[in-house]
Amino acid sequence: MPLPAKAFQLWLHQVAPSASTADICRISGIKRTTLAQQLVRGKVAESTLVSISRALDLSPLAALASFEHYEELATRPQPPTPAELVSQIATMDLLRAVISRSAPAYGGYGDEGSSMTPALSPAPHATSVRNWVDAIDDGELRHRVSAATGVAPQNYSAQLTANRLSPELAVATSRAAGVGFTGGLVATGLLTEVEAGWPPGAKQSALDALSDGELTALAGERLQALGKSLRRQEQEQAQTEKIWENLG
Amino acid sequence: MIAILQWTTLAICAFIAAARVPSALRGENRSLFGIFVLMTIAISLSIEPVYAVVDSFLGADNIANLLLRFVIYGTVLLAGYRIAKGFDSAGSVRLIVGPVGLAVLVANAVATLVPFLMANTAGTSAGLSHLPDQTPHNTDLIRLYTAAGRFYPAYIAACLLPPILGVLKRRILPRLVRSGAAILLVGAVAMIVLALSDLLPQRLAYLQYFISSTAVLGLVVGLALIWAGRVRAGKQALRR
Repeated sequence: MPLPAKAFQLWLHQVAPSASTADICRISGIKRTTLAQQLVRGKVAESTLVSISRALDLSPLAALASFEHYEELATRPQPPTPAELVSQIATMDLLRAVISRSAPAYGGYGDEGSSMTPALSPAPHATSVRNWVDAIDDGELRHRVSAATGVAPQNYSAQLTANRLSPELAVATSRAAGVGFTGGLVATGLLTEVEAGWPPGAKQSALDALSDGELTALAGERLQALGKSLRRQEQEQAQTEKIWENLG
Repeated sequence: MIAILQWTTLAICAFIAAARVPSALRGENRSLFGIFVLMTIAISLSIEPVYAVVDSFLGADNIANLLLRFVIYGTVLLAGYRIAKGFDSAGSVRLIVGPVGLAVLVANAVATLVPFLMANTAGTSAGLSHLPDQTPHNTDLIRLYTAAGRFYPAYIAACLLPPILGVLKRRILPRLVRSGAAILLVGAVAMIVLALSDLLPQRLAYLQYFISSTAVLGLVVGLALIWAGRVRAGKQALRR
């Protein structure tokens, strides 16, 4: 559930007592109409809070944790697991790592040369949400999240497919999996890795710790999933073309 | 009331057909333009004053009504074929233009022609509801003729139900396409209901006008929405 407007206004008054709504919108880049609408409806999106915190040079994580729904964020700081870190590496970066570990004859640098490959792109990536959930899923996770939140499994899956997850569900997923709370918030792009308190280079070290076999198998899975989704897109495209051709 | 309904329906169809003129001139999918024009002709032929003029020209034997039936067959055949093909349903395409579909069309054409030729249809009357010759034999023939006239559109509509429902289920398709499909569904159901509407008691017979308007508008507006979907998709592609 988004943040209650009352609590949000209280927070805003504490962190920026003299700023007007117009000032806040100007510095944070939020449209005035958007903010006004959220306030009228009584629900302020977490992303609004994060944008304003960034603009005011406050920690978005701490700002979120000051709200009742997200108190846990402050109480149990737990670093991301290696699997979570690896899940936040883009598929193309994984493939690049495979190549760079290969023999020079195939364009790689051998085992030692990972420093020669370009730096990993920052999270989130195109399938970061699903990859994150897969990384922490013990097989029953979706059921537990669904039972705890009342969100139907198919709606949950639909969000993962769209590479989205509401912050509330992301936190609920972390809780159900028993991992730190920042993983989901980074995977959904609400917070950056730095804002989440992840040590710099954490993803790279997690990647380096993978054996060649693990890395290759993981890259293979990702590639297969990518192929499937590309094929589905192509089919949809073909269907749409057919409709335009006959009925457009 | 019914006159207003019919004229409004005609206005909407004529407007959509006119809007399609520029793209027809550019040579884009002329069959869609054909569907809109045929539909406009069909509706104008079911409106009393227009019908009277056309029929007096054709000899005041209600040949205009026969013409109307075949215009409708042509429209639903063309529209049905395009929709089934566009919605990627090989089965429905076969049922419409395959051997089965053509057999149904021919049988239906015969079932339309024979009672018409056997009946005494002298005296202009739109919808053949107020013919001078009201002998039981003649009214039975006319009833047969009317039933045949409604059967073929209902057959095509039934063939289109599965592909339309299929499109409605595919969430990834553009929203305008899916709303167009939803409206086509309403039109198709109305066409099927229209074929069954002769079972309505006589005092509810006026409902047939609403049902047939719903069927026509469902088809025309549904197709127009899908067309709008393409226009919008084209604009988005340009912006990118």
